[in-house]
Amino acid sequence: MLTVEDFSIVYDRDGSPLPAVSGTAFSLAAGESLGIIGESGCGKTTLALGIMGLLPGATVSGRVLLHGRDLTAMAESERRRCRWRHIAMLFQNSLEVLNPVITIGEQLTEPLIAHLGLTARQARERVTEMLAATGLAPRWLAAYPHQMSGGMRQKALLAMALACGPELLIVDEPTTSLDPESRQAVLDLLQDLQSRLGFAMIMISHNLPAIRRLTGRLLTMYAGRVVEEGDTAEVLRRPLHPYTRGLINAAPDFFPYKDLWGIPGVPPRAGSLAGCGFAPRCCQAGDFCAELPPELREQGSDRRVACHKGGIETVLSAHGMVKTYRLGDEAVKAIKGVDLVVRHGEVVALVGRSGSGKSTLAQMLVRVLPADGGMVHFFGRSIFDRQATAVIGGMQMVFQDPAEAVSHRLSVLEAVREPLDIMGHGERGDRERRAMAALAAMHLPTSTDFLRRTCHGLSGGQRQRVAIARALVTEPALLVADEITAMLDPSTQAVILRELKGLQHQRGFSMLFISHDMHLARKVADRVYVLDQGYIVEEGAAFEVLNGPADSLAMSMPAVTRN
Amino acid sequence: MKVVELGCRETGGSRSFWRMLSGSGRMALAVLATMAMIALAAPFVCRHSPRIASGPALAAPSAAHPMGTDELGVDLWAQVAHGGRISLLVGAGTALLAGFGGAAAGIACGYRGGLADRLTMRLIDILLVMPDLPLMIVLAAFFGPSVVTIIIVLSAFSWVTTARVVRGRMLTLRERRYIKAAESYGAGTFYLLRRHFLPEIMPLAAVGMIRLAGRAIVAEAGLSFLGLGDPASRSWGLIMHHALSFRGIYYTDFWQWWLVFPWLALTLVVTSLALIGRDLERMADPRIRRRGC
Repeated sequence: MLTVEDFSIVYDRDGSPLPAVSGTAFSLAAGESLGIIGESGCGKTTLALGIMGLLPGATVSGRVLLHGRDLTAMAESERRRCRWRHIAMLFQNSLEVLNPVITIGEQLTEPLIAHLGLTARQARERVTEMLAATGLAPRWLAAYPHQMSGGMRQKALLAMALACGPELLIVDEPTTSLDPESRQAVLDLLQDLQSRLGFAMIMISHNLPAIRRLTGRLLTMYAGRVVEEGDTAEVLRRPLHPYTRGLINAAPDFFPYKDLWGIPGVPPRAGSLAGCGFAPRCCQAGDFCAELPPELREQGSDRRVACHKGGIETVLSAHGMVKTYRLGDEAVKAIKGVDLVVRHGEVVALVGRSGSGKSTLAQMLVRVLPADGGMVHFFGRSIFDRQATAVIGGMQMVFQDPAEAVSHRLSVLEAVREPLDIMGHGERGDRERRAMAALAAMHLPTSTDFLRRTCHGLSGGQRQRVAIARALVTEPALLVADEITAMLDPSTQAVILRELKGLQHQRGFSMLFISHDMHLARKVADRVYVLDQGYIVEEGAAFEVLNGPADSLAMSMPAVTRN
Repeated sequence: MKVVELGCRETGGSRSFWRMLSGSGRMALAVLATMAMIALAAPFVCRHSPRIASGPALAAPSAAHPMGTDELGVDLWAQVAHGGRISLLVGAGTALLAGFGGAAAGIACGYRGGLADRLTMRLIDILLVMPDLPLMIVLAAFFGPSVVTIIIVLSAFSWVTTARVVRGRMLTLRERRYIKAAESYGAGTFYLLRRHFLPEIMPLAAVGMIRLAGRAIVAEAGLSFLGLGDPASRSWGLIMHHALSFRGIYYTDFWQWWLVFPWLALTLVVTSLALIGRDLERMADPRIRRRGC
C-alpha cells in the first residue's frame, strides 16, 4: 500500500543544508503496523512529516507511493486532499496541535467538512460517533483544549485523525506525556481501533513495550538512516545492530529488572561523518567502518541491517562441548553436548544450580580444562591450546575464589602485570603503566605503598578487584566471569558488579557471566543460558527467560526441564 | 643464610627472620654459627696441629691444651676444630645434594606426572623400606673411605623424603587457579618454576635440608665410628672411634675429655640443626607464615 523509496529530506536553514533523513526505503501493506525507534533527533518525526508532506522548508527527494501514486510529486492542493482522507497523523504534543481558543467540537468537525464535503450536521454526527468509539462522552465537544486532561486530548485527536477513515495512521509518540494509566488506555484504544477499522499504522515511540505490543515490524533509525529492519519480536529478541541493542538496554520499561545503561557518546551531526555514523560509539567498530557508510543489507530472512560487519559479531561460539569426569571406574558426564554463543559487547549469563556444570563449561571454553569433545571458535577461528588466552585482546577468565586466583606471594603490581610479563608485551615501564591503569579502572589505589603490598594482605573484595584488573590488563574481547562475587558480601558484590558492568559498557567487551543467582544475572544479562545437569535447558533474551517474579525464578530453577 | 632469604622473602631481610625465631631457635642459630666459624677458622684458632703431637700423651685439659690430648699427644681442641670441618662439610654436602636432588625429582614428578612419576615413586618406596645402615656400610666399604663417597652414599638414601614432600606440594600447587591462569596467559615451564613453584617449594626444601644435615652428620659419625670413615681426615666420629679403640678407656679418666668433647660438639650441632629445623618448619607452614610476615 505504502512504498517509500530512497526518501531523503534535507533541511536548508541559514544556508547550511542539514540532511535529516537519507535514503530511507521501506514498504507497508494494508492493515500492517510498523514501529520506528531511535534516539531523539534521529529523524523519526521528520520522516513522518515528510510522508505527510508537511515540510514546507525542506528539500525532499525520492518517492513516497501510496497505492502507486507518488505523494512527493503531487501538487500541494492535491496532497492536502490526500491528507486526512488517506493518511492521518496523531501528533506528539496534543496541546500544541489544538487551537486553544476554539472548542474541540469545532476543531474536530473542520477536516470532515473540508475533506469529505460533509454538512456541519453530518460532521457533528460523525465526530460524536468517533468520540464514542474512543470512549469520550459527547459533552466534551463543547470543551476547550485546556479544560481536558492530556489523555482526553489525545483521545479527541485520535477521534479527529480517524474521523475521515484513513488507510494509514501515523502515530508520533502518542503516550510520551501521559501517566501510565492513560498511556495504557490510549494504547488499548489504538490496538482496539486498528483491529476494528483495519488501518495501517506507523508508530514512532521510545516506549519499547508499546512498540512490541502494537507493531509487527520495526525500523531502527540512527542519524537519519535506517540501520535495522525486521520483525518486531525478532529484532527485540536478537538485535543485529549494536545501536538497536543499545536502545533496548536503555529502555527502563522494557525489562524492569535490568540496570539501565545508555549508549555512550552522542549522535553525530547528520552528514558530518564519512563512514558509519555509529562507528564512534560502536563497541566493534573497525578501521573500515569510518570509511564508507554501510548499506542496509539482507541478513537472514526478513532482516536487514546496515553494518559493515553484518551486525553484531560473534565473539565466541562453542559447539557440542562434552566433558566426562572419571571417578574410579565410574564415568560422570558433567557436560553433555552444549552449544553456546557470545556476541560482541553483550553480557551473556550462564545460570544454573551448583553442580550443573557451569564452571566446567567455562573452563573448557578458555581451555583451562581440556574438553572431551566439541569445538570452540573465537572470532570465527577454531582455537587450540592458549591461542585465545595468551594474547592481548583475547579472552580471559576471572575465577570464583580470589584467594585462589592470585598468588598470595606476589605484590599487587606483580600480580596485575603478570599476564603482560608472560606475554612479553612491550617495555617494562609500559606494562607497569597498563597495570596501574587497570587497577585504577577497578577503583584500587595506585600508591607505591599499595602496589608493593602482597596479595594475601588484601581483603576479599580488594583481592577480587585485583583479579579482575589482572584479567582486564590484557584488554580482553571476552571476559569469562565465573561466580566472581559469590564469596563476597552483598555490598561489596554490588559495588564490584556495577563497576565491572560499567567498564564492560564503556569498553564494549563481551562478558560471559556465570552465576547461580538469577537475581544477579538479570541485573546485567542481555541473554541467558540455563544449564542443568550438563544440558542447556533454556536460552534466550534475558527479558524472556528471566522475566518473572522472584519466587517463580527461585522455584523454577531446579525444575526447569523444558528441552 | 640462603635459607633465611628464601624462607621469608615477602617482607625480606633477615631481621624479620630473626624476630620470627623462637628463643631456642635463636640460641641454636648462635651455637651453629659459632661452631661453623670455629670450623672455618680452625687453622687460626688452634695453636697446635691436629695431626702432630704437641704435648704429653693423654694430658688432661689445661691452659696449653684446652681439651687435653690423645694417646699420641695430639691436641684435642685442634682435632675437634678441624674435625668440625669434615662433619659440617658432610652435613652441608649431603643436605645440598640430597635436598636439591630430591626437590628436583619431586618437582619433575609432581609437575609432569606420567610414567616417570610412577617409576620414581616406586623407587622411593623401595628406598624407604630398605634398611639403610647395612647397605651404607657395604657401599662405603666398596667405594673406599673418602668424604665424597660418604656424601654420595648418604645422599643416595636421604633424597627420598624431600622428594616425596615436594612432589605432594607440587600436586596441589599445579591445580591452583593462579597457576592455571598463568598457564592460560601462555607461561612456560621455566617461568612457572622461577616465579611460582620454586618460591613455594624452597621453604619446604630448606626444612628438609636442615633435617638432612643433622641426620647426615650423625650417620657420618656412625660410619666413621664403625671405621668406615676417611682415616686421613678426622671427623668427630673418627675421633670417638679412636678414643673407643683405646683399650680400657672406661677404666681411666681419659674419656672425660677424649670422648666427651667430640661428642659435645656433635650433639650441639645436631641439636641446633634440629631446633632451627623445627622453627623453619613452623615458618614454612603457609598459615602461620601468613600471620607471621
